[in-house]
Amino acid sequence: MTSRSSLLRAALRIPPSCVVFAVLLITLWVLRPNMMNPAILGTFARQVVPLGIVVLGQLLVISSRSIDLSAGGIILLVNYLISSGLLYSWPLLPIILLCLGVGLAVGLVNGLLVGKRRASAVIVTLAINIVLIGLVEYLANGKPPGDVPAEFRALYNLRFWTIPAPVMFWIALAGIMSAFLGASVFGRFVWSIGSNPTSAYFSGVPVERTVVAAHVIAGLMSAVAALVQTSSIAVGSVRFGPELVMNSIAATILGGVVFGRPAEVWGPFVGVLCFALLFVVMTTMGVQEPGKLIVQGLIILLAAIFYGLRSKSN
Amino acid sequence: MSKVGRIFFPANSRHGLWTIPLLVAICCCVGLAISTADFVSRQNVLNLFAQAAPLILVSIGQMIVILVKGLDLSVGSVVSLTTGILSLNAPFYVTVPAAMLTAAVVGLLNGVAVTRFRVHPIIATLSIMGITQGAAMFVRPSAGGTVASEIVALVSGELFGIYMPVIWTIAAILVGWRIVHGSRFGLHLFAIGGGETAATFGIAEQRNEVAAYVLSSCFAAAAGIFLAGRIASGDPNIGTQYAVDSITAVALGGTQLAGGIGSLHGTLIGCGLLALIANGMNLLNVSAFVQTIVKGAILLLVIALQPRKSIGL
Repeated sequence: MTSRSSLLRAALRIPPSCVVFAVLLITLWVLRPNMMNPAILGTFARQVVPLGIVVLGQLLVISSRSIDLSAGGIILLVNYLISSGLLYSWPLLPIILLCLGVGLAVGLVNGLLVGKRRASAVIVTLAINIVLIGLVEYLANGKPPGDVPAEFRALYNLRFWTIPAPVMFWIALAGIMSAFLGASVFGRFVWSIGSNPTSAYFSGVPVERTVVAAHVIAGLMSAVAALVQTSSIAVGSVRFGPELVMNSIAATILGGVVFGRPAEVWGPFVGVLCFALLFVVMTTMGVQEPGKLIVQGLIILLAAIFYGLRSKSN
Repeated sequence: MSKVGRIFFPANSRHGLWTIPLLVAICCCVGLAISTADFVSRQNVLNLFAQAAPLILVSIGQMIVILVKGLDLSVGSVVSLTTGILSLNAPFYVTVPAAMLTAAVVGLLNGVAVTRFRVHPIIATLSIMGITQGAAMFVRPSAGGTVASEIVALVSGELFGIYMPVIWTIAAILVGWRIVHGSRFGLHLFAIGGGETAATFGIAEQRNEVAAYVLSSCFAAAAGIFLAGRIASGDPNIGTQYAVDSITAVALGGTQLAGGIGSLHGTLIGCGLLALIANGMNLLNVSAFVQTIVKGAILLLVIALQPRKSIGL
């Protein structure tokens, strides 16, 4: 009896993302065996790199019991800054620094309002998102912005062996984040707030400062994701964001990081890969946009219910 | 504190601070009446009612959920789905019950996920929002279709010389008042939102919470029926703004997002204030994009001014 329950507990500890990933891989293998090719899969993985980078920030915020819905607005703003032609005369480095600065600033505002003012994170980041989208639409006056500089395109299309450069970049960034969370005091703070904010507070963890820092890093990650996203499209897009934010929450929860559970990088990483595969499978099966929305919603709900049930049984 | 002061800043009020938004709304009215010529015209006042009626409907439902420490992000997609169902080629006595039933099921799913499965309200309603939005786009991929003429008649024109949106608003207020301030159920809502001991005083906490989510969805469906009648067609994106707008209106009216404190009149004032701001900016020819920014900034300000104990969600 004990061995069975411990086996069950071990099975429950595996993030759902790994299970979903395996199921999707088998489905694809049965449906379209010729798709199981590293070059093709690499191209699909490249499409979710912006999502993957947003998730790296989102998992920090979610495990410190907050949430960030402003990634879409940041991506839109950075996208506009690069593709509107305002900065065409600038060299590459200052543009990148400016974009990262935008992400930092938005993350700091989010963090201060959530951490110091103790405003509701959902509402704050939702409102910031609305303000940013309105700002970009006002600046662009409803028209789609212009072209993206050629350097960004070139970087995006670069490949190491068969692996596209953005995917390499994403893996490297995830590795850095994982090592950082494992080794730093900040990582410990996030872990302890994730498991119990009250006891973390009484153990001397600077809860406010940690939440602010998590939001700042999330904002920075959104800006990095925006740079990759902007490089991926020849023309800037006006409408972008809502589905990315929802997917980033879905991938994080799927990866085993929910409110009140410590930050883990590789579970959500596989969660993002699940979404890449899911798009492939759904596209090959001819599922349209409404179907995709329904499936995404169901995945978030089922993953959340899975954790809800588990916390009840404990 | 002086007597007048106590009216405007009541101590330990269950109804929240609704007097300040009321003063702001009155100032807005006076300012607009002075600065623009069209504000006090009959046509503009009627427009104001037509703009505010669906928001009032959605916000009353949203407030009921917020009172029990919840949040319903799926109301917007329920509004869209309702207009989609109503624009299907079927008589009104089929589409209206079908739309209400669908909304009730959506609310039930929200409530069960939150109470039985202990999913955080934001995550639960966010995922249900995705599912409902997908369903809305499935039923009506793009704006169009025709709504039964009876529904169109229900929102346009006049009854006994009273403009139909005014009748809708009054009906919404009466129903909302009966639920929130005139029933045992309403009292239980406040009790559940107010403290963790509610269950020990014999209140069926879970059942009441589920009922709150079902009511919220049904109010959103009513707003969908109103909007479908206004535009006489379906639109999968018509409800997009209502989730945020209703939260803004509820928060503007002094309802605490932490639950337990709020009032119907506060919510009405919040809706009125939002509608006034939108109307005023239209009259002053402010660009639609700037209006979005202003709305977001108001929400940010109101939320930042609400004191809370916990950090995070």
